[in-house]
Amino acid sequence: MQREDIHIISRHSDLTKQVIDKALKENIYNDKEAWQKFLRLFFISLGIGFTVSGIVFFFAYNWATLHKFAKIGLIEGVLIATTILVLLPKINGNIRNIILTGASVLVGVLFAVFGQIYQTGADAYDFFLAWTFFVTLWVVVSNFAPLWLLYLVLINTTFILYSHQVAKDWSEMLVCTLLFIINVTILISAIFLGKKKIPNWFLNTVALASVSFATIGVVIGIFDKYQAAFPVLILITAIAYALGIWHGLKTKSGFYLSVIPFSLIIIVSALLIKISDEKMMLLLVSLFIIASVTLTIKSLINFQKKWTNEK
Amino acid sequence: MRNKDDIKKLLDYFQNTEDKSLQFDEEAIISAYQKDNGNQSLAIKTLSVFGGILGGLAFLGFLFITGLYNSEIGLLVFGGAFIAGSIWINKKYDKIIIDTVSVSFFIIGFILLGFGCAQLKIDENIICMIFIIIALGSLGIAQNYILSFISVLIINGSILMLIISNKGYDFIHIYASVFALTMTYFFLKEATIITSSKALSKLYNPVRAGLILSFLSGLIFLGKKGILPVSPNYIWLSSVIIISVIIYLISVLFDVLNITETRHKIGIYIFTVLALLPTALSPAISGAILIILLSFLINYKIGLVLGIISFIYFISQYYYDLNFTLLTKSILLFSTGVLFIALYLFTYKKLTANEKV
Repeated sequence: MQREDIHIISRHSDLTKQVIDKALKENIYNDKEAWQKFLRLFFISLGIGFTVSGIVFFFAYNWATLHKFAKIGLIEGVLIATTILVLLPKINGNIRNIILTGASVLVGVLFAVFGQIYQTGADAYDFFLAWTFFVTLWVVVSNFAPLWLLYLVLINTTFILYSHQVAKDWSEMLVCTLLFIINVTILISAIFLGKKKIPNWFLNTVALASVSFATIGVVIGIFDKYQAAFPVLILITAIAYALGIWHGLKTKSGFYLSVIPFSLIIIVSALLIKISDEKMMLLLVSLFIIASVTLTIKSLINFQKKWTNEK
Repeated sequence: MRNKDDIKKLLDYFQNTEDKSLQFDEEAIISAYQKDNGNQSLAIKTLSVFGGILGGLAFLGFLFITGLYNSEIGLLVFGGAFIAGSIWINKKYDKIIIDTVSVSFFIIGFILLGFGCAQLKIDENIICMIFIIIALGSLGIAQNYILSFISVLIINGSILMLIISNKGYDFIHIYASVFALTMTYFFLKEATIITSSKALSKLYNPVRAGLILSFLSGLIFLGKKGILPVSPNYIWLSSVIIISVIIYLISVLFDVLNITETRHKIGIYIFTVLALLPTALSPAISGAILIILLSFLINYKIGLVLGIISFIYFISQYYYDLNFTLLTKSILLFSTGVLFIALYLFTYKKLTANEKV
């Protein structure tokens, strides 16, 4: 039973407030067990979160009298301690993973301190590359979605910094193309290798990032002067979107079936405006957007109807 | 969406909860499910809102190139017509697929009306009042999800505008307090609200979503220094209200968690107050905690996610704004962290001990 069921039935019946309240409490609201689990997770996340940020601030303070060996030694000491903690057999899986996520952030602090001492700059791409590289093993072993997300953010950051600092001649569109390829590859491998264990919010976040990169890349490509990478981007986007729609239909996920069409609608609108930015074109674009979004919603509803009847 | 068998099962469930026989309007229930405007996925709602905004923007571009903004009367007439049209269309065809159209019209209408009033040099306060009245009217006439949601946002945006344009910045505290109370009432009294009238029952979901966002926007003004010159003298006001609401919420939670011993209750109250006291200078943090607790209580996932994100944001903003050295901040953060880890270990032991008994 879902909340909407109770709402609809209460609208068309003489059920009393008390009955509805009881139904909500029994079927919708979280019970004692859920609260206990939630509070435990809440406390431990706050605990690790605050502790790690305390450590980050401590090193950001850049204590002048503290010798560089002491600084690096201290943080490596903390790292070793947390890693040993993770290996203790008594600790349960989720907590272990949260600690490991904290430790992965500390690896970043270690490199930042290193950069601070040897003046390499905190936003050098090699710093992020090393950070990414050295937490890889933990990410794979823990297989913990939030840690994976941190890992993906690191990969993307490393790449963006690299394109700013080293490969300065790359065009924005090329950068978007490469980012799209990176994220879509990760998404596809996650879907195929992970089977059912990967939480949906994680896959959807990666998919949303990929689609955003593709959309931005294509829109830039439409307005910029022609580049060789553009047809490549179009081709890959087309293949990936087709796969995405197919996957969405197969897994009955409304997410892919709305995000991809929406991206296409933006792309087509950009194309129309590129052709002409006269007033009649703007009117056409506006009608096109409203009509196509409505059409997308209509077909989504039809799919949902079909899926419910199949059940 | 449900098929007939599902609906039958649901009705049986309710029939079994009461001894006397209940009245169900089965046909109305089935047709309500078939109208497909209720339980739509987040994807569809987001799609119609974003589609509506994009379409509206393009249309505005068109109107302005045609030079409509030269005529105040034209702006007012078109604005009014668009708003009325979008409400009428919604009332007439209560279907989710026309949402995008009506959202577009609704937003365009408000923008045109705003421009028209501004060109006629009408006082900002009056414009805000007009907006509030129209939005309230649309809540009363069409109880469609997305229009109601946007109406709530327009109402709260107009109130904020009133506060800002009159330079009554300290009214933000009253704004945040009132929204904290209203939101809590809405969350805790779901059964009362949805059984009181059909219109309110339909408005419940969109207004709840709108209230969270309205409350959050008030918190942002309180949580980020420098957006508004809010005087620090009254900051306790919103903190007192929000912390009291959290305390009240904890008394509700005692029922859910089966905590009956007075000793435990007092201990938990004292701990909560002590833990929240350091945030008294930043009501935004306790506000975010309130959203998290309320949303988890009634199992409202989007609210929970919004609460967690804003909690992380307000905490970081708080420490960023603090006028301490990084070392002091580090010690503060570190000890808070250790406190929470201790709390975790404590509750963990308590709970596992309970389970053994």
